[in-house]
Order: sequence, then C-alpha cells, then structure tokens
Amino acid sequence: MLFNSLSFVVFLVIVLALYYSKLFSWTGKKRMLLFASYVFYGLWNPPLVILLWISTAVDWVTGKKLATEENKRKRLYWLLLSMVVNLGFLTFFKYRDFLLDNFTTVVNSYGYGYHAAKMDIILPMGISFYTFQTMSYTIDMYLKRTERAKTFLDFALYVTFFPQLVAGPIVRAQDLISQFYEEKRATVNQFIWGLFLLTLGLFQKVVMADTLLSDTVDKVYGAGKILNFWDAWMGTLAFSGQIFFDFAGYSTCAIGIALMLGIILPDNFKYPYGSLGFSDLWKRWHITLSTWLRDYLYIPLGGNRHGVARMYAALMITMLLGGLWHGAAWTFIVWGGLHGTYLILERLQRKYIPFKITAWNGMFLAFTTFTCVNITWVFFRAREFKTAWNMITSMFYLNPDGDKVLASFDILKVGIIIGILFLCHWFMRNTSVEAVSKKMHPWALGAVWAFMFFLIVIAQGSGEQFIYFQF
Amino acid sequence: MNLKQTLIIAFTLGVISISAWEFYWRSQGLQPNIDDNKNLWANQRAKLENYDDKTVVFIGSSRILYDIQLDIWEKETGTNAIELATQGASPIPVFRDIVENTTFNGTLLVGVTPPLFFASANPEAPFNKRSQSLVDYDKKRTYAQILNHKLSVPLQQNLAFIRDGDESWDSDVDLKTLLKQIHIGTREGPAYPPFNNFEDISLDRHMKMPERMVTDTAYANTVKKVWTSLLSGDMPPPDKESTTNAFVELAEKFKKRGGNLILVRCPSSGLFKEIESKAFSKEQFWDELVTKTKAKAYNYQDYSQFKDLFCPEWSHLAAKDAQFFTKELIKIMKADGALTNLKTN
Repeated sequence: MLFNSLSFVVFLVIVLALYYSKLFSWTGKKRMLLFASYVFYGLWNPPLVILLWISTAVDWVTGKKLATEENKRKRLYWLLLSMVVNLGFLTFFKYRDFLLDNFTTVVNSYGYGYHAAKMDIILPMGISFYTFQTMSYTIDMYLKRTERAKTFLDFALYVTFFPQLVAGPIVRAQDLISQFYEEKRATVNQFIWGLFLLTLGLFQKVVMADTLLSDTVDKVYGAGKILNFWDAWMGTLAFSGQIFFDFAGYSTCAIGIALMLGIILPDNFKYPYGSLGFSDLWKRWHITLSTWLRDYLYIPLGGNRHGVARMYAALMITMLLGGLWHGAAWTFIVWGGLHGTYLILERLQRKYIPFKITAWNGMFLAFTTFTCVNITWVFFRAREFKTAWNMITSMFYLNPDGDKVLASFDILKVGIIIGILFLCHWFMRNTSVEAVSKKMHPWALGAVWAFMFFLIVIAQGSGEQFIYFQF
Repeated sequence: MNLKQTLIIAFTLGVISISAWEFYWRSQGLQPNIDDNKNLWANQRAKLENYDDKTVVFIGSSRILYDIQLDIWEKETGTNAIELATQGASPIPVFRDIVENTTFNGTLLVGVTPPLFFASANPEAPFNKRSQSLVDYDKKRTYAQILNHKLSVPLQQNLAFIRDGDESWDSDVDLKTLLKQIHIGTREGPAYPPFNNFEDISLDRHMKMPERMVTDTAYANTVKKVWTSLLSGDMPPPDKESTTNAFVELAEKFKKRGGNLILVRCPSSGLFKEIESKAFSKEQFWDELVTKTKAKAYNYQDYSQFKDLFCPEWSHLAAKDAQFFTKELIKIMKADGALTNLKTN
C-alpha cells in the first residue's frame, strides 16, 4: 500500500479509530497494529508476508539465544544464522540476477558460451530496509549493546511497524522497541503536528516529485540521444529534486503517521543540499542508513583506528557497498565509489589545505557540494553506463550540438524549483520545520497547510510508487 | 504555536479552495465522468477467467470501442459482452493474451483500424506497447490497486475535476496536464494542440461519443486539429507482412480450439479516410488479412447503409450513428450465421 493512495487514507482512518477506541488494551492495540502492518504489506503481494515472518522468527529466536548464551563460538553461530537468513533473502531476491549476469559475462569471456536462465523473481518491497533493521537488532544483541525485546509481539511490531516498514527510517531496536513497552497516545498537538507532517510529505511526493519534476527527468534520461548542455543539466537537477522530494517525502509521512500514534521516529533528512562537504552530506541524507553503515560496516572494518590507509579503504568499501545496497547494478557501485572518493578527497583537503568556513565561502562550498552530488546522481539515475557517459559529457559542455528535448518552460520550471530548493536547504540547515512553524502566525501556517493540501488534491497523483521502494 | 487553530484554518481554507476549483471546472462545461483506464480494462479481463457460452469478447482499438454499442449488442444478441478494445493500440498483444493465457473459445470480434493494426509487429512499437502494458498490468495488479480503483470510482462520478485516466487524452484538468499546456518559445519544436477529452464510458467499458462532440463543432475541431498534427509527422512505413503473419498464427490457434473469429472494419471519414485509402488500401491490407485468416469479416465499405455515417472527429461514430451501426451490423451477422452463441427462444 502506498501513502499516496486512497486505500491508505481509508486504512489510516480505520487504524487510528481502532487505536484510539476503548475496544483494546495496550497489548490488543499492539496486536491490531501488527495485523494492520501485515495487511499494509500484504495488499501489495500477500505471499511475501511470509518473508517478513521468517525474518521476524529467526531474529527473535537469535535474540533470545544471544541474551542468555555466553559461549563465544555459539554466540557467533547464532549471529551467523541471522546474517545468512537476512542476507540470503537479500541476495536471492535482489542480487541474484546481477551476480548471475556478471558470472555469465566472466565465464563467456573465456569462450564457454554459457546462458543462464532468467528466473524473473519479484523484488519484495522494502526488503533492504527491514532486513537491515532486524540485522541491527541481532548485531546489537551479539555486541550486548541492547536489551532483548520483552515479548515476541514487541519484536514483531518493531520489524513490521507499517509507517516505516518499506522505506525506513531504519530504526534501531533500543529506539523503537522500548516505545512499545508502555501505552502510547499522541497528545492533541502531536496528533495535529503528525497530520501536518503527513501533508508535507505527501506534498513533497505528489506535487514536487511526481507532478513537477518526474516528467523532465524521464524525458531527459529516456531520450536515448546525446543531449545539449542545458537539457543534461536540467534533467539531472530535476532528478536531484525528484529523489529528495520522493524519499524525504516518504520519511516525513512515516514520521508524521507514527507521531499520530504517539510513536517517535528519528529524522532521516536534514536539508542535505545545504551540506558543507560530503561528510556533512552523509549526516543529512538518509541519516538512518548512513549511521547504520557507519556502525555496522565502517567501524567493524577498522574505521579510523588503524591508520590512514586502512581508514580510506574502510571508507571506500563502505560507500561501494552502500551503493550496492541501493541497487544491483554497476552504476550504483560507481555512484557509491564517487561518494567514497569525494569523502577521501575531503579528508585530504582538511589535512593539507585547511580553511575556515564563513557565511560567504560556506555558501560557495554548499553550492560546490551540491554540484558534485549532481554528478553522482547521473550514475544513480542512468540505467546503463552509455547513458551516464553521454550525460556527463553533455554536462561538461563536450556536446555543444546535442539535441534539445526540453521545452523552455521545463527549463524555467526546474531552474526555479531547484534554485528555491537549494536556497531553502542553505537557510534551513541549522533549524527545522518545527522551529520555523513555531514562529509563524496560525493563519500563515494554516494557509500554507491548506495550499499544500489543495495542490495535492488537484495534482491527483495516480499512485506513483516511491523510488526507494525498489531498493 | 496554536496547532488547533492552525488545523481549523487549514481545513476551512482547504475545503473552500477545493470547492472553488470544482465550481470553476463545472462553469467551464466539465461534468463528472469515469475515465477509461487500466483498471477498467483489467476488470473486464478478469471476467474472461469465468466466461460461459454467452460470452462475446471485443478487442481492437478505439473505433470498435466507440462504434459497437454494448447495450444494444447484448440486448439484440442475448450475449454478455467483455470489452477489451484498447484506445490507440494494436489488438495483437491482447489477442495473444487471450489465445495463450485463456481457454476462451467463444465469439471474438476484432476491430481492425489499419494504421494501428498494420503499424508494426515489434513489441517495442508504441501501439503494441500500449496494449501490452494493459495485459501486463492485469497480471501484476495488486489488491491495493484494485481497492484504490474501487475507492476512486465514487469520486470520479461526483467530482468534475477528478480524473483517473492513464493517457494524455484522458486527463485534462490535473495539475501536471495544466502545466503542460504552458508554452514559452519553440525550443523543443512546435507545441501540440490540447487533446480535449471526448469519452463517456461506463464501468463496464461501454463507450459513447459525448453529445458535445456533435453539437459543439468548435470543440470537435480541436480533436481534428490533434489528429492533423499527429498525422502530419513522419510515420514509419507499415509492416504488413509481419503483423498479418502474427495475427494469422494466433487466429489459427484460436479457431483450432473452436473459437469463432470475426473481423470488423469500422467507419472513418475526412483525413483518416483519405490516409487509410491511400496508405492502407482495402485490397492490399484488409482483403489479404481476411483471405489469410479465413475468418468472417465485415468492412463498412461493403455496405451501402454505412456510407453516410457521421464521425464528428473523423475517426469515431457519433452516439446515434454508433447505435445504428451496431444494430445493422448485428442484422448482417445474423443473416450470415456469423454469431454462434445467439439467444434461443
């Protein structure tokens, strides 16, 4: 089920009505939320709920054993069981074709003429998110960083909680399970603010990403031609806006819906396009994934504890795997590799050419960071290297006679939207929507809210899927 | 921050602005209507899983969709119609789906619109992709999508500004389409004229040409303008041999299992008739297809009663003419014994 669909509106109204009715005890309410979460997922593809059940059951048993087992070897085996099951699902459903294609290419380069049969297996929605979430629980249990979930119901709800099930935020066990132990009820202000965030998230997704930017992106990246400088840049800038609004929109909806239930989810985006460099970017973009990668990959790989060379290697491996997490294709790996390279170059710059950041050079630095991010987005969006290369050469003005596929209005529209987006991120980088809203007169905030609602309704999104669902 | 006051203000302003939007579009002559979309098609396709000996299936493009009036067809023949024609598309992908993925062996009427039918056998060609996308959607449709469609129907039936179409010609008042109508300069070449909606379809895909297309000539002319601009571009040459062979192969399989195949060529006029006569001559395209298929076939050009039918925008019959066309066609077919599952008294 998608947040931007009529069925979700009905679903949410029913869930909220049951949640705030006096029909259930707190345990009953949690059972209802768990059942609703399975319905939320199952309405897309019922059999794939079984994967959720297996993941939940395996990690529940693993957590239980790790809570009591003291034998180091046995503890490791339990951890490996959880990793094999979760990563096994991920490999089978997400990376199998990619691995098979590469295997076939390598084998055939030696003249074997091997042909692998495609299995055409569906990618379970949100599998990358919920497997990472449950793995964080077992890893933390193994490292004795978190307490075991008190009941199976609490744990199952942690794995399956519908607001963040299919596209995050990826929440740590200690941050979410503990919220399920005592009855939660949103205050009136929390409930209304949650509703505001849900509207804001839907506005970002339905109006900004789907209505104003997606067509430009599709036109440019689907052109199949070598494009003009302006078209290549505008298509890429439009994608930078589309992916931000799409994913931040989902996270905002998730946070808002959870808040309406009295549950607090962590922020996932903090104005990333106002970042001063790439370390800053990864503290602001998909925060719950970047902290996951930091805690469960970068630090175990050695982090910055074993010298500079090892640190750079750990950084690069983390970013390459981060790229692969997003999609089973070499273009995503290159995207991760570019981010790894930027991060290494930034650390070298800090060491050898340090400078103080002021308001003026800060804005220039943010603009440079944003420009470099756009170069990486080309590899993220292009389905193949040929398209990516054509786009990059056009963006560096190497194809001055390239085709023009965008209308002047498209260029103007994208220019204005992305310009406002960048300035908004720059000026908001040290504050929040909530803080700004608190300073606004109720009439002004109400008018903004009504305007967003009006645009969502007249945009009439046809239920476009969120981009991050495919990851 | 007084959130209660904020919510009341937002709710009030939201309701006022949406009501104003609805009244504005009604004042522009727009009325609530159902849009033809992939869900309506998939609902019809689902019926084919439980066909009986009274089932008649229609495939083809928009002409058979507009020109065969299902209420008259069902009344006159006592059969149950399943409408699987797809607008702006070739029927071959749908025919393949019926032949390969169902056991249906009743009466199948195929509308042949030459520029679409003979365009290309390549699955990536737009006219094939469009109908194939419906077949694919039906196979992958989720319960959530079914539910969304059911919930959207009352909104479509009651609010003029609500549109749920998949194609540019369905959805003329959503924000994206409105923005597309803004043109500055000619950077990407000349702009296409707006494609105004001329659908009046029921939930079981019974399509009628709206009366406005007959009474408002200026409105009908806007559609003619679109056809003119589309037809004035470079078109790839038709691929008669591949399309005919692909169809004949499916027709043989269908007839072999007892299916009753009927080909129908619906009327056109003006620019369409001119182009179809020159580039898709009856002798070279239609007659050859009929000969190779060995199916019962009805071409409007062969019957004097069909020569003066009115197509307000050159390609589809006005509602009254479509009713006449349907009744007369049934009479002709009955006389021929072409319909195998007629009602028995």
